[in-house]
Amino acid sequence: MAKTIQIDGKVFPFDGTKTVLEIARENGIYIPSLCYHPRLGPASKCRVCVVEVEGMRSLQTACSLMPTDNMIVQTSTERVIEARKMVVNLLLANGNHNCLYCDMNGDCELQEVVHHLGIEHPAFIVEEKMELDDSAAFILRDPGKCIQCGRCIAGCNDQVVNEVLDFGYRGSHTAVICDSDIPMGQSTCVQCGECVQLCPVGALLEKKNLRKAFPWETRKVRTTCPYCGVGCQLELHVKGEQIIRVRGVEGAQPNLGRLCVKGRYGYDFIYSPDRLTTPLIREKDGNLREAGWDEALDLVANKFKQIISESGPDAIAGVSCARSVNEDSYNMQKLFRSVIGTNNIDHCART
Amino acid sequence: MKEKTREKINTIIKKYPEKQSAVMPVMQLLQKENKNHLNLAGMKDAARAAGLGLNRVYGIATYYTLFNTKPVGKYHLQVDTCVPGFLHGADKIVRHLEKKLGISVGETTKDKLFTLSTVQDLASCATGPVIQVNDRYYENMTPAKTDKLIESLKKGKYPESDTSMNIVSKSNILLNDRTQKDCTGLAFYKKNGGYRALKKAMTMEPEQIIDEVKESQIRGRGGAGFPAGMKWSFLPKNDTRPVYLICNADEGEPGTFKDRQIMEFNPHLVVEGIAISARAIKAAKAFIYIRGEFGWIADILEKAIEEAKKDGQLSHVDILVHRGGGSYVCGDETAQIESLEGMRGNPRVKPPFPANFGLYGCPTVVNNVETLANVPYIVEKGAAAYRKIGNPNNHGPKIYGISGHVNKPGVYEYPLGTKLDELLKAAGGVKGTLKGVIVGGLSVAILTAKEAKNLVLDYDSCQKAGTALGSGGIIVINDTVSIPELALRTIEFYHHESCGQCVPCREGSHVITAKLRGLLAGKGKMEDIDLILHLCKNIKGLTLCPTGEAFSVPIQAMITKYRKEFEALVK
Repeated sequence: MAKTIQIDGKVFPFDGTKTVLEIARENGIYIPSLCYHPRLGPASKCRVCVVEVEGMRSLQTACSLMPTDNMIVQTSTERVIEARKMVVNLLLANGNHNCLYCDMNGDCELQEVVHHLGIEHPAFIVEEKMELDDSAAFILRDPGKCIQCGRCIAGCNDQVVNEVLDFGYRGSHTAVICDSDIPMGQSTCVQCGECVQLCPVGALLEKKNLRKAFPWETRKVRTTCPYCGVGCQLELHVKGEQIIRVRGVEGAQPNLGRLCVKGRYGYDFIYSPDRLTTPLIREKDGNLREAGWDEALDLVANKFKQIISESGPDAIAGVSCARSVNEDSYNMQKLFRSVIGTNNIDHCART
Repeated sequence: MKEKTREKINTIIKKYPEKQSAVMPVMQLLQKENKNHLNLAGMKDAARAAGLGLNRVYGIATYYTLFNTKPVGKYHLQVDTCVPGFLHGADKIVRHLEKKLGISVGETTKDKLFTLSTVQDLASCATGPVIQVNDRYYENMTPAKTDKLIESLKKGKYPESDTSMNIVSKSNILLNDRTQKDCTGLAFYKKNGGYRALKKAMTMEPEQIIDEVKESQIRGRGGAGFPAGMKWSFLPKNDTRPVYLICNADEGEPGTFKDRQIMEFNPHLVVEGIAISARAIKAAKAFIYIRGEFGWIADILEKAIEEAKKDGQLSHVDILVHRGGGSYVCGDETAQIESLEGMRGNPRVKPPFPANFGLYGCPTVVNNVETLANVPYIVEKGAAAYRKIGNPNNHGPKIYGISGHVNKPGVYEYPLGTKLDELLKAAGGVKGTLKGVIVGGLSVAILTAKEAKNLVLDYDSCQKAGTALGSGGIIVINDTVSIPELALRTIEFYHHESCGQCVPCREGSHVITAKLRGLLAGKGKMEDIDLILHLCKNIKGLTLCPTGEAFSVPIQAMITKYRKEFEALVK
C-alpha cells in the first residue's frame, strides 16, 4: 500500500521525495510562500507557508515538512491564517511596498500573498523608505522592497557561484550586501542577473526595462539564446514588437533558469540600425554595395567552383560557428563533405 | 602580512578538521594585531586563508558583535545595560562615563584613547555593573571605581579587577573553593579526587557510560532540561562518520553566569566531563564553544587541557577551545554548529537533528558546560547516588545564579528542587519589597511576588507554576522597577540578538521594540498594548528557533501580569 497524506481533507499518495508544499501545489492546493523557490529548496525563513499538522504543537513550514504516512495537514485554519497575516503585516510594516508604482506589480509573490490573505492596508507601519543602489550597469537594488528571503544570495553563491551577495549585519538590520557592503556597481558582480530572476518581489529590478511594461502587458515567447552553443532556454517578454525583458526558463535544460549577462541583457543588437539587411558585395575599388540574395549566392558558388577546379576541394576549409544550433552545424559539414568534397571542416568552439 | 602572522594563521587552520572553521579565529587574530580593528585588508586576508569569499567574511564580521569593522579607541569601554546590569545600576555608570569622557555612547574621544559602547549581557549578572575594557572585565563598578579605572588606563595601565562575589556551595560538586591558591591547577584537582572518574570510565564500555548517565536521569542544564543520556542515545549506531562533541560554553542568557564559575575556577572538572562524555559517545574530537567575551576563561581552559594532555588524561580525545564572536543565538545548538563551521550564527531547520547531521554533516552532541561537569560525579559515584540529590525526575546539583535586588547576589549551588524562598534567604534576602522574579533567565515568564511564594526550583515545578527553570538564572525585581521599562530592556536584548533569519523574530522584535519605546516616550496608544500581545501570541512557536518564544513569552507575561503599568503610560 502506498503511503498517503491528507491535505485539507483530500488524500494523496506520496513517495517520500517531495515536501508537503510540493505535494499540495502539484494537486492544486495553494499554500503561499515567499522564501521558497523550487530550484533553491526550502529555507523556512519567511514562515508564510506554515500549516497545521495534527499531533504537532507548533505550526510547521510546509516547504521543509516531509510527509509521514497518514499525516493530516490543514492549510487554512483560523490559526494558520492569523499567523500568516501577522507575518505578512510584519513585512509590510517596514520598507516601501508601493505596488502602484512597482514594475513587478502583477508578478510579485508578496503581492500575491497579500491579495490572498485579504490585507487591504498594512496593519501597522514602523519605518519606510531606504536608499536605492543605482550604481550597477543593469540591476537596480531597492532595499525598501527587500524581504530578506535570501533567494538572491542562494542563487549568487550556490547556483552561479559568483560569491558576491550575502547577508550582512543581523536582526532587523539584516541586509543583502555586495562584497564588503559596497555599491553593486563597484563590487565584483558580473551582472548575470541570477538574483533578479530569483527575487520574489521588486527589490531587484532591471534598469533596461524600468517602467516599460507591467508584467501583464507582455507576451512570453520561449526561445534559445543565440549567443553560444550551450543553448540556454530563454523566455522573452515582448510588448508589441519590442523585447522588454529576458528570463531564463525555470526547470528547462540546460540552464534551469540561469543565464549569463549576455543572454539576459545583451539583446539590443536586434534593434541596431547597424544590422545588415541585405547581402553586400565588395567591388573591385574596395567599396561594398548592396546586392540581392541570388546574386550574392551565385557569386559565392562560382568562386567555390573556380577554386575547386583550379586547386582541388582541399583548398577550401569550413569553420562553423559555435552559436549555431546542431542542425545548422550538421548542414555545414554535409555541405563541405558531400558538396564541396573535403574533410576540412571544423568548429570554432574546438579551437 | 607579517611572516609571524602568517605562521599563526597556519597554526590556527591546522587545528580544525575543515579550513572554513578557522575563519573566525583568524579574523579575531587579525583584529587583535590591528589595534582592535578588523579592516578590509584583514577581512580579505581572512577570506583567502579560509578559502571563502569576501562577501561571506563581511557577513560574519557584521553579524558578530566582537568584530570592530570601524576603528575603535585604544580602550573600548563596553557597559552591559541588559536587564541584570540595569537592575544593578549600569545606566548610572554609562552617564558617568559620558560625562567624564565628554562623549556619547558610540563615540570615541578625540585622543582616540576611549570608545564608549553599551552592550547586551556580559554574564556578569551578580557582579554588575560591569565594564568590559577590550577583553577584560571590570565588575562591581561604582562611579568612584570607574574614575580610578579611567585614570589608570590613561596612564596605560590595566588596574586589578574586583571580582568578588557571593558563593555558596551546598552540594559541593560543581563549584570549587576559589580562595585556594592554584585551585585551577591539575595538582589541586587531582589531590581532591579529580580524574578518578575518567580513570574508571576508561575501564568501562562506552555503552555502559551512556547507560549510567541515562539512569542518573540528569537533565540538560542549558535551559531546556532535556535528558542528557537520551540525547546521547540518539546517535546513530554502526555509523562510519566521525562523532563530534561540543561543549556549549556560550553562556549568554541574561541572568545566567553559572558556567563561567565552573570554567574559570574548576576548569579540570569541565575537561574531565568532556573526556568521559567523549569516550561514551566515541568522539575523538571535542570542541568547547565559549563566548568570545570570556577570553581569559578560554585561556584558563586551554591551560587545563594542556596540563591534562601532558598528564596522559586525553589520549582518546582532542579538545579544542573555540571562541565565539558575540551572539546570543549561537547558544542554540544548531546555530553553534553553523558558527563553528565558519558561518553566521543562523540556526538550522530541524530535522535533521545534530545527532544525525551536525558538525560537518556528522553525528554531533552538544551539551552544556554544567551538564558535562555533572558527568564525573555520576560516573564515579553511580547513577543511584546521583539520583539521591534533588527531587524525582529533577536530580542533581544546580548552580542557581541570583542577580538583581537581593542583598547578596551571587552563585548558589544547591540541589535541584530547592525552594526559592530558601535561596533568597541564602542570598541575604530581597532588597526592598519583592515585585516579581524571573527564575530561569530572561526568556521565561516573570512571576509576581505572590506567584513566586513557595515556588520549588526544579524543571517540573517551575513548568507547573507557569514559568520555566531554564538556566537557573534568577533575577529578583523589587518595587522600584517599572515593568514597562523592564519589558523594553528585555525586548531590546532580543532585538539586538535576533539573527534576522526568519520574519517573526526579526520583524516582530523590531516592531515590539518600537511600540514599547513609543509607550515609554508617552506617544503610545492603548491599541499598541494589544498589538504587542497579538504579536507575542502569534510569534510563540512560529519562529525557526526558540528565540521568538524567548521574547514573546516574557513580554506577554509582563504585560498581562502588570498591564495597569503599561496602560498608565498612555496619555
